[in-house]
Amino acid sequence: MSAVLSLKGATIRFGGLVAVNDVTFDIEKGDLFGLIGPNGAGKTTCFNLITGVYRPTSGEIFFNEKLINGLAPNRICAMGIARTFQNIRLFQALTVLENVVIGGFLRHKASLASALAYLPPAITETSRLEREAMDLLEVLDLADVAQTRSADLPYGKQRRLEIARAMATQPELLLLDEPAAGMNPNEKEDLAQTVRLIRDQFGKTILLIEHDMKFVMGICEKIVVLDHGEEIAYGPPSAIRNDPKVIEAYLGEAV
Amino acid sequence: MNWGVRAVSIVAAVGFCFLIQTVSLGFGADIQRLIALAGLYVTLAVSLNLINGITGQFSIGHAAFYMIGAYTTGYLSIQFLKNSGMPGPVWLLLMMLAGAIMASLAGLVVGLPSLRLKGDYLAIVTLGFGEIVRIIVVNSPFDVSFFGVFKFFTFPNLGGAYALDKIPAIRELWLIWLLAVVCIAVCRNLLKTAHGLAFLSVREDEVASLAMGVNVTRIKVTAFMIGSAFAGAAGALLAHYETSILPSTFAMDVSFIILTMVVLGGTGSITGSALAAITLFALPEVLRRNKEPVTGGTFLAIVIGVIAAVVLIRWFQNEYHGSKNKKTAGYFASVAASAIVAFGLTFALNAIPALHDKAFEGSKLRMVIFAGSLIIVMLIRPEGVFAHHEFSWTWLKKVLRIKPKSEALAT
Amino acid sequence: MVHQLLPIAAVDFNTLPQQLVLGIGIGAVYALVALGYTMVYGVLKLINFAHAEVFMLGAYTALFTAWYLGFSPQSLQALERESSWLNLLIMLLASMVICAIIGVIIERFAYRPMRSQPRIAILITAIGVSLLLQYGGALFLPVSPPPSIDERVNPYRGAYTITLSRPSDRLLGQKEELERQYQESNVAFEKQLEKEKSRFDLSPQGIALRNAKQEAERALRKVTDEIAASGRELKLPRGQMIMLGATLILMLILRHLVLYTRTGRAMRAASHDFDTASLMGISVDKIVTVTFIIGSALAGAGAMMQATFIGTPLTTFYGVSLGVKAFVAAVLGGIGNIPGAVLGAMVLAIAETLVVWADGSKWKDAIAFVILIAVLLFKPGGLLGSSKVEKV
Repeated sequence: MSAVLSLKGATIRFGGLVAVNDVTFDIEKGDLFGLIGPNGAGKTTCFNLITGVYRPTSGEIFFNEKLINGLAPNRICAMGIARTFQNIRLFQALTVLENVVIGGFLRHKASLASALAYLPPAITETSRLEREAMDLLEVLDLADVAQTRSADLPYGKQRRLEIARAMATQPELLLLDEPAAGMNPNEKEDLAQTVRLIRDQFGKTILLIEHDMKFVMGICEKIVVLDHGEEIAYGPPSAIRNDPKVIEAYLGEAV
Repeated sequence: MNWGVRAVSIVAAVGFCFLIQTVSLGFGADIQRLIALAGLYVTLAVSLNLINGITGQFSIGHAAFYMIGAYTTGYLSIQFLKNSGMPGPVWLLLMMLAGAIMASLAGLVVGLPSLRLKGDYLAIVTLGFGEIVRIIVVNSPFDVSFFGVFKFFTFPNLGGAYALDKIPAIRELWLIWLLAVVCIAVCRNLLKTAHGLAFLSVREDEVASLAMGVNVTRIKVTAFMIGSAFAGAAGALLAHYETSILPSTFAMDVSFIILTMVVLGGTGSITGSALAAITLFALPEVLRRNKEPVTGGTFLAIVIGVIAAVVLIRWFQNEYHGSKNKKTAGYFASVAASAIVAFGLTFALNAIPALHDKAFEGSKLRMVIFAGSLIIVMLIRPEGVFAHHEFSWTWLKKVLRIKPKSEALAT
Repeated sequence: MVHQLLPIAAVDFNTLPQQLVLGIGIGAVYALVALGYTMVYGVLKLINFAHAEVFMLGAYTALFTAWYLGFSPQSLQALERESSWLNLLIMLLASMVICAIIGVIIERFAYRPMRSQPRIAILITAIGVSLLLQYGGALFLPVSPPPSIDERVNPYRGAYTITLSRPSDRLLGQKEELERQYQESNVAFEKQLEKEKSRFDLSPQGIALRNAKQEAERALRKVTDEIAASGRELKLPRGQMIMLGATLILMLILRHLVLYTRTGRAMRAASHDFDTASLMGISVDKIVTVTFIIGSALAGAGAMMQATFIGTPLTTFYGVSLGVKAFVAAVLGGIGNIPGAVLGAMVLAIAETLVVWADGSKWKDAIAFVILIAVLLFKPGGLLGSSKVEKV
């Protein structure tokens, strides 16, 4: 089976600092894939490379066998990769529903002219997107706060909204950047269920970054471990758990 | 969509424009001119709001697009109107289109740097662009050549530093206000659709918009092009209303004034921009008309009163931890107390001969009041008077319903 | 001649060094003002639009000080004694002190209450303060007719002349001879003209004499031009030299302050990361105040020197165009970067000079913006700045 996403020797340097060095892995369709590593290991930078925020200094990134190095982030999103942000980046002044509608704007078909004149194509498209957004909010248990300003949501819900918004782009591959950060154990359990639901019911491929080892080990089927930008381990959770290099990398932190 | 409501609104809007025209005919030429200029400022403020408030691209050179529209169409009319044999209003419509196209091309040029620049850097580029446009007009005519060797063409004479005058007069007040209404309608329509949300998303967070597949580039450039097209059309109307235009009509201050309108109205709020445009345009004109000089004592008393009000209101905002109603009551009390103090001081200070004899003409105070109100609003309500609210019937109902309740609680 | 080789009619390489000297003088003022922009931007990330008005008020302070020292329009007729360097120093210090105070007041009452607001709100406040000072100042300060500082307050007028090359004796001799010939032919022609006063047009003899006169005039002009072209001298206006010297001294003091004092170190820390600096126990309020004091004082120094040594008449819009250019200089050098501001100022001033030299004086004011837009598009970090990668 061919890989949905494959990194081949992806590397990026900022001046003298090599933030991500020669990282190679394949994600196959339907994978629930974990990307872990200590602080500053280059996980988020890796996401930024995949989603086109940064351009790799060298190496290649393929999405469904198409080279996506250096494409604009919105093009990459349109191809089917959506992401969430570690430091929540919602459209704060807009409502929850509006945030999700923007995620769906990609599939919006009415012209700008019809929007400016408020003609039927724009009106029907807008209400279609709103309906779709509401459906997604139902799934992610956010329907009751649809009209709330996203900045006013509690932290856990903001994280969920990030996922809803990314889902609204109808991606094939979903990148989640520390989705469980700052959540309590109950919320984490809910989130784990949601992530599984997204994979099983919506058939998405998921790549997630997470600090909470228990969370990652619990839901991911394959894991890549980064340390100081280098890939130090790659395999199923059981293998990762016993990998001496991983234990060494984490020793300072997780004792 | 309810087509009936829509038809009624359109008829009402056009009717409103003709009503303004009819009413203004009852006044003298100078009042008519003010009504015309007020309409143009509404267009300018609302169109800048599209760029600044809705799309979040900080542009402070809006007068440049206004200028481009005015000069392009003024020049075209001087050259071609006589031979065209077209009736005035038709020609004027054509000119509005021409002004809009030229200005939106300029908007494209300014919009492109906005792809790489953010915030205050973009602001300074738009400011610079405005100055370049003004310098080009002031220096006209000139030869465009390659180091003096190959002459490409001669840039036409636009009056240089003096006026471009003898522009044929076509004064259609209703058209001026119709442009304002159309501008408001277009912005409102945009905000009602998913397209509008995409514009807002660029303002809120560019990185996140990109990650959601929004073509940020296209949206920024589009916002600049639409916004400047309206300013260009307004320029065309101005040129044919005034028949004589000067580079200084479009100086940096004008951009700042338009910006002030947007900011005071509440960045992003169409209602706010439109109302602020009318208020801020009318206020200095009223002052200008007031021939009676303001004495130094009165001026000083007002300044002290305003400062006192700002200080008190800020205290209630930041230091006072009462209920919301008590805070509101505090604001009103601050304003009332400061007004009384200022009123009392007027007499006290005017008793001092030096202050009484120093007089300021109302017309000289207008920009001072402008600048002062800009700072005051920033200090006590940085989100602008209307903040992000829009006028709508439901909003009005909400405000009216809440108010009596809060008053009952306060007393 | 060079300008025959090049199609640019007005380009004359002989005048270039002189123009550059003047350009560097202007660059010194740009640099002093640009430093204020760059330092405030470095710490607060704010384009302090009101900085140009601080400059304007500095120029007025210099004017009033000069009046107080006895160089006011009323007392000038009676003025007998020569001015001294002490007067200049008093004016400079007065401008610097008053500007520093004004800068601190603006920061304290307009910018500090806004610090928690979005940057755009502070920027708009800055625009408001700038407009308030321009138009409010016009109510109280003398603006019509625009006053200017009397040049007699400056004891160092005139210029040092450096001779770069002398015209040959042969040319000078030739000129003398031609001058004599011209005088003779002129006198002859005038005499003839007197004789033929009653005639409607000139007689053939008169025409011959007129032609001879014109011929002599042409020859003389040619030699004069040649002399002018070969005899090159560089005029160094003494006022501008003082400007350069003073600027240099102020820069050295600034360098010492920023690099070797505690406050300077704190300032650099705050400019690197405002929030972290405040967590590290640096009193950011104090640092911001110091930044405004230094920046405004430098603007005051620039204003005093420009108003005194260049002597343009003052209005309350005195700072506008210079302010924008100084800001461009700061961006050009890399905003937030102190040596960059000086470099940017010099580059900009020299670019303007070159435009004027190439007969484009009417485009002089546009060049700043063209440079600005080009820099921002191609090297947004400026010449010495580094462009930061936005953290996502």
